[in-house]
Amino acid sequence: MTDDNDIDDLAAEYVLGTLDADERAFIAARRQREPALDAAILEWEQRLAPLSELVVAVNPPADTMAKIEARIDGTGVPSSEIATIIELRRRMNFWRTAAFAASALAASLIFAVGVKNFQPKPRQQNLVAVLQKDPASPAFLVTVNVEDRVMTVQPVAAKPQPGKSYELWLIQDSLGAPKSLGVIDEHSAMTKPTLAGYKLKIIESATFAVSLEPQGGSPTGAPTGPVVFTGKLIPTTR
Amino acid sequence: MASAEDISALLKRIAQKDRLAFAEVYRATSAKLYGIILRILRRRDIADEVLQEVYVKVWERAGDFKPERASPISWMAAIARNRALDEARRKRPVSIEDHPEVQDIASDDATGLANILRGEDRKRLADCLAQLDANRRQMIVLAYCEGLSRDELAKKYSQPVNTIKTWLRRSLTQLKGCLGP
Repeated sequence: MTDDNDIDDLAAEYVLGTLDADERAFIAARRQREPALDAAILEWEQRLAPLSELVVAVNPPADTMAKIEARIDGTGVPSSEIATIIELRRRMNFWRTAAFAASALAASLIFAVGVKNFQPKPRQQNLVAVLQKDPASPAFLVTVNVEDRVMTVQPVAAKPQPGKSYELWLIQDSLGAPKSLGVIDEHSAMTKPTLAGYKLKIIESATFAVSLEPQGGSPTGAPTGPVVFTGKLIPTTR
Repeated sequence: MASAEDISALLKRIAQKDRLAFAEVYRATSAKLYGIILRILRRRDIADEVLQEVYVKVWERAGDFKPERASPISWMAAIARNRALDEARRKRPVSIEDHPEVQDIASDDATGLANILRGEDRKRLADCLAQLDANRRQMIVLAYCEGLSRDELAKKYSQPVNTIKTWLRRSLTQLKGCLGP
């Protein structure tokens, strides 16, 4: 059974799929401890892979992703929120492209600065939260760099409120009262090291909330106006 | 459509538990994997369940993916096929006559194969398949795409199981020789 040809024959038929249940289980167990068999299986998978082109793609049921997420973890982020973030990213890419194409230098500068601030360095682990009243109306996007905990707040569709300011709060049980992360701007992105003083564990489980305060921010250090948007962070590496 | 490089990069991010990357990979690959699974299992209820398990596995094992050893799509397709085949072998064999739609694939027609299998790797495989006898070529395609077992092939071709086994081994050996290193 250890002859090279035997191993290759076994691998070939395993990949072809014609072995019975016991044989399949036996091979699956053996490949874990026999690198030669495992390598032969991978080679056969590559060889025969083009045959999958013969199989017609079929869209799975619409709720499949939600079920997968529910399996991955009980507290999974709903796919509607993932979809929102992907959509926002797409729109920001569009803005970025639009900015480069803009003929008015001033406009392109404003966009370029805004987008540059928002863009984290590639391949860094980030956390992103969409702050919204409901999934249809995202207002701000918060990105937190896990390494230095620098936070970027990007306005998406927050409407300016005359005579009022939006203030961002960090809410988590162990913090007690909501902690102010400062007044945020509904017109342009801002990057701040405000979160550096908080532990990552707290940030990850916290809720970000935006309240509507008198111009310049809450006079008391606690939210005084209505909470208009909230969101929690989910991981991403871009 | 996402390229192999795109999917590889996304798998790397999934290994770091990036949910956005996972959602993007799902979007780019789920119809393909579902097609593969459904073709083998021929029952939507079981195929739905298997598809979920496959993506949970992709989520958990993305870190095991080695781009130098496999293309990301064939890595994922292998997970899907293995899971679907394990499931198919557990059940009583499904008679092929119960599923006439199974036979509509362009399996025995070498020209049909060549039309579908474009691109360098695919063309090479199509050329090598074309060198097999029609019956044996069809057998390979039915086994790979439809998940037919040796017993099912034996019934379909009215041959003893051992003969089928011999034919399959010879066909695979011939394919390997034709495809080269």
